[in-house]
Amino acid sequence: MDMGLEKLTNLVLEMASLSEKSVSTSIEAYSTGKNLSAEIKTWSDELGKMQDEVADLSIELLARYQPVASDLRFIQSSLEISYGFFRFGRYAYDIAEVLEMFGNLSDCDHSEVDITAKTTKEMIRMSIDAFAKRDVELAKNIGKLDDFVDEKYREHISKTLKDPSIGLKCALSATLVLRYLERISDHSAYIGDSVLYIVSGERNPMK
Amino acid sequence: MKLAEMEQTDKGANFENRGAVRPFQTQPKLETRNLKAFFGKTEAIKGISLAIPDRKITAIIGPSGCGKSTFLRCLNRMHELVQRAHTEGEVNLDGANIYGPGVDAVAVRRKIGMVFQKPNPFPTMSIYDNVAAGLKLNGVRNRKRLDEAVERSLKLAFLWEETKDRLKEPGSGLSGGQQQRLCIARALAVEPEVILMDEPCSALDPNATSRIEQMMVELENEYTIVIVTHNMQQAARVADYTAFFYLGQMIEYEETDKLFENPKMELTERYITGKFG
Repeated sequence: MDMGLEKLTNLVLEMASLSEKSVSTSIEAYSTGKNLSAEIKTWSDELGKMQDEVADLSIELLARYQPVASDLRFIQSSLEISYGFFRFGRYAYDIAEVLEMFGNLSDCDHSEVDITAKTTKEMIRMSIDAFAKRDVELAKNIGKLDDFVDEKYREHISKTLKDPSIGLKCALSATLVLRYLERISDHSAYIGDSVLYIVSGERNPMK
Repeated sequence: MKLAEMEQTDKGANFENRGAVRPFQTQPKLETRNLKAFFGKTEAIKGISLAIPDRKITAIIGPSGCGKSTFLRCLNRMHELVQRAHTEGEVNLDGANIYGPGVDAVAVRRKIGMVFQKPNPFPTMSIYDNVAAGLKLNGVRNRKRLDEAVERSLKLAFLWEETKDRLKEPGSGLSGGQQQRLCIARALAVEPEVILMDEPCSALDPNATSRIEQMMVELENEYTIVIVTHNMQQAARVADYTAFFYLGQMIEYEETDKLFENPKMELTERYITGKFG
C-alpha cells in the first residue's frame, strides 16, 4: 500500500511538472508569436495518458487495500488533482491554438494577458507546492489569487465592449486567452481545496 | 510519533469518559457508564461510557486484546460467568441498570442475545430443535407457537428456504455459514431486543459472510445490533456507528463514515490505516 501511494504521488508530481511547463510555454509562445502548438499538443496528450495511469493506479489501490482515512482521502484527491493538471495541459494547448487561429498578433497589446498570466503561473506553482508539501496555508491562499484573475477577465470584457478601437482580432484573441487563464486559475484553486481535504478531511464549503 | 506520545495527544476527548459518548440524537437503547471489567485484578475495560442507539448497527473495532469482546460480554452479563471475573459501573438497557440489585442475569440474556465467533449449534439436536431450544427452556410447549417461532426466526435469519424441507435433520449437518445463520435464528427465537455479535463472520467464507451482512442490515429494522469485528471493511459496510477501542479504553466513537473518512484521533488514524495493530 505504501509503495502504491508513493508511486501515485510521483505520478501526480510528474503531471504537475509537465502541466506547469505546458502553460508557461504556451504563454511565452502567445507573447512572442512563436507557433509551438504541435509541441504543446504532444505534452497535453501525454498528460491525458498520465491521468489515465493515475486513475488505473487509484482504482487498483482501492480494490486491493480498501484504504480508509488519510490514505482514502489522498487517493480520492489524487484523482481530482490529476484531472486539474490534465486541464492545465488542455488549456495550454488551447492558448497555443489561439496564435494558430488568429495568425500574427504582434500589433496587439499583451499587457493584460501578461499580468494575468503571471498570477496564473504563480497559482499553478502554489498548487504544486501545496500538494507536494501538504501545505494547508498555501492551499488556502490560492483561492485569494483566483479572485484577482476573475476580476482581470471581467475587466477585459467590459473594456472591450466599451472600446471598439482595440480591434476585433486583438480583442477576441485576448478574450480567449484570458478565459483559458481564468479556467486554469479555477483549477489551481480546486487543487488547493483537494490538498485541504487530504490534510484536514474538511471540504471547502465554497466549492 | 510514538504510541505513548499519541495517547497523550489524543487525551482530553474520549479518554476522560465524563458522560456517555453519544454520536446520535435519539434515546439510547443501551448505555454504559464508567464500565470496568476485571479478570482477577487485571483491568481489561477501564471505565468506558458509551451509548448504543436503538435499531441501528454499532461496530466495535480495535486490535487484539483491546477489550472489545470483553466489553461485549459485559453488555449481557456473560463476563461474570468467567471465573474470578467481575464488572464495575453500569450498563443501562432502556435506562435500567442490568447490574442493579435483584436483576436476573438470565432474564437479561433473554433480552440481549449473543452470537459467537464459531458457529455452535447444539450438535445432537435437529435444525428445528436448535431454534426452538430457547423457547422450550422458557417453558413454551405449544406446538403451533413453536412452529411459528421456528419459521419466523429461520426466515429472519434468511435460512428458511434452505432448511424448510429438512427441519428434522441435525443442525451440525449444515455448512459453516448456514450453521452461523442457525445460531442467529436460535438467538432471534426468544425475541431479544438486542443482538450482540462477536466476530460472527471470522470463520466464514466471503459468500457466507456476505449473506450474514445482508441479514444484519435487514434485522436492523427490528433489533439493536452490536458487532465486534476485526474486519474493518465489514464495520464500514454494515455499521451505522463505530467505536475504536485500544488497551481497554474507547478512543473514538463516531458515525461510521466519518470515522473511516476522517478520524479525529491520531490513534484511530494509525490503526485503521494499518500503521499499527
